[in-house]
Amino acid sequence: MSYGKYVLRKGLWYLLTFFIATTLVFIIPRLIPGNPISAIVAQMGSGVPSESMQRVYESFIRDYGLDKPVVLQYIDYMKNLFHGELGISFSLYPKGVTEIIGEALPWTLALQIPAILVGWILGNLLGAYAAYKRGKFDKVLFPVSLLVSAMPYYVLAILMQYIFGVYLGWFPPSGGYSMSAFPSFTFDFMVDILSHYTLPFVSLVAVTIGSQAIGMREMSIYELNTDYVNYSRMLGLEDRKIVSYIFRNAMLPQITGLAISFGTMVGGSIITEIVFGYPGIGTWLFNAIRQNDYPLIQGIVLVITITVLFANFFLDIMYGFLDPRIKAGEMEEG
Amino acid sequence: MMLEVKDLSASYVLPEGEIRAVDDVSFSVDEGEILGIAGESGCGKSTLAFSISFLFPPPLRHVGGSVLFNGKDLKNFNDRELRKEILGTKISYVPQSSMNSLNPTRRVKDIAFDIFRAHMDISEKEMYERAKERLDLLSLPESVLNMYSVELSGGMKQRVVIALSTLLGPELLIADEPTSALDVSSQRIVLKELKKLFKDGVFKSMIIISHELIILKHLAHRIAIMYAGELVEVGETERIFKEPLHPYTKALIGSVLEPGKRVEREKIPSLPGAPPDLREKITWCRFYDRCPFADEKCKRKQELVERDGRLVRCERGKDI
Repeated sequence: MSYGKYVLRKGLWYLLTFFIATTLVFIIPRLIPGNPISAIVAQMGSGVPSESMQRVYESFIRDYGLDKPVVLQYIDYMKNLFHGELGISFSLYPKGVTEIIGEALPWTLALQIPAILVGWILGNLLGAYAAYKRGKFDKVLFPVSLLVSAMPYYVLAILMQYIFGVYLGWFPPSGGYSMSAFPSFTFDFMVDILSHYTLPFVSLVAVTIGSQAIGMREMSIYELNTDYVNYSRMLGLEDRKIVSYIFRNAMLPQITGLAISFGTMVGGSIITEIVFGYPGIGTWLFNAIRQNDYPLIQGIVLVITITVLFANFFLDIMYGFLDPRIKAGEMEEG
Repeated sequence: MMLEVKDLSASYVLPEGEIRAVDDVSFSVDEGEILGIAGESGCGKSTLAFSISFLFPPPLRHVGGSVLFNGKDLKNFNDRELRKEILGTKISYVPQSSMNSLNPTRRVKDIAFDIFRAHMDISEKEMYERAKERLDLLSLPESVLNMYSVELSGGMKQRVVIALSTLLGPELLIADEPTSALDVSSQRIVLKELKKLFKDGVFKSMIIISHELIILKHLAHRIAIMYAGELVEVGETERIFKEPLHPYTKALIGSVLEPGKRVEREKIPSLPGAPPDLREKITWCRFYDRCPFADEKCKRKQELVERDGRLVRCERGKDI
């Protein structure tokens, strides 16, 4: 089987997975007990006569198509999805889901992508160095990494928020920018954004370093003792060359770690954003679930699904190029 | 004399104790000679082979003695000089575990280039040509250069490793169990190729290590028998096979299965017991517990002495 064919086949599988995932995204919010429309109407119309309330309620139901049988709702949902329409939010009526996600997503991505990358690179360098040097450096790095990665993330986040945000007061403990600041491209506003950015960023980098360093250290120690390293030494290769062999081969499983981190970053942002009150997509998902906002839940979960699937697909394709052993295995599977 | 090993001792220093895997070993290899080293698993053959390189990566440690290569004492070379000037160029090595000896994520070509670059400054084109020539000598097609180790069969991997190890035309090749991971037909091919390279003068001398005496019988000019970290007998191949002087050599030869001969299952002789624990210091004959001829006389230190133009570590001599 050629590699192109392999990629195509993988692609079709991912498409099927995507279809099933979108169906689940449709079903799951509808299983949450409670009628979302009546909650909204009750919120909007306190003090309005109940007869007109009833009419508002019915028009909402009709607008959202909730009076139709579930199967027809599903067909509508899929049709709209195909056209890239995610519908209108219940809780923020009449704001579109696409618009809400469009505003929130940059905050999440700007926080997560740099944090994951920085944490991943630092973690791998530290892990490889600890494996190569051993001794004191390793004796300190290993337990610290273990502690940071074993601690539940929200505990770490809350501790950092309390110590640096509240107790020492070095950084604002919560929010994306100050309430009083007016969003603009001025120097003051950038400083304000960065100071709010620091705590969630550092906390994310810390957990990423922890888990990556442990993995890289183990892999490097394993590679250091392989036969090809001994053989290279006996053939007179320099240590510098041998270290580059080790680093490259130990990196391979770590790339999975990176792809998984990217895949789960939107879903994983919920805790960070709730703890630090950050205006990203995680906060919106949390609010949407609380208010039974079907379209918004669907939209955000869809974004999460796409990132997970895309990261995995990309990984599947890349591995064939990075590791000849995997490529050979894939071809055999046929 | 090309290689002279004098009173070489090396230990694995582990938290639970020191294991003297090579104990006071002396031997030499002449130019144009193939020396076989035989002994059962765990007797220190591989450690000895490795110690000749004088690298001693921990937990292996040099305890005493010296290795002279063309008269130069390897003790006087530091790690960098050893790698640059001796290993891969003058003394090369075919490892025991050829199956995993190729970096899985590098093409054969790139591994070859790395070896060239570690020792000399020549163009990529020349490196490619020379690698191709060497593969050709081992009946491997040029396309192998572009392959990864996972794309090679076991026998091919072993031949690729031999090609890489002899890339720079070393004076001495140390082959550590070059056939142990192969099936019988691949074994034959590999041995034939090694013989051919030797005849073609790709390398001048060879130390070949094996636990199968039969392999050495057809290849080596002289054989050194190793037991529990010590050499117990060194001599010309034919004479050792005809008339072993050490009881252990005799037992080893007795367990050789010659192809073609019909052997009944019950009649295959085997040596009972196991070699001594090398963590303990043994002051008398190390073969004592397993030797069928052992008596009170053997309970004292046995020296490697010359007898009949051979070296042997047993006082009894011919009456075994």
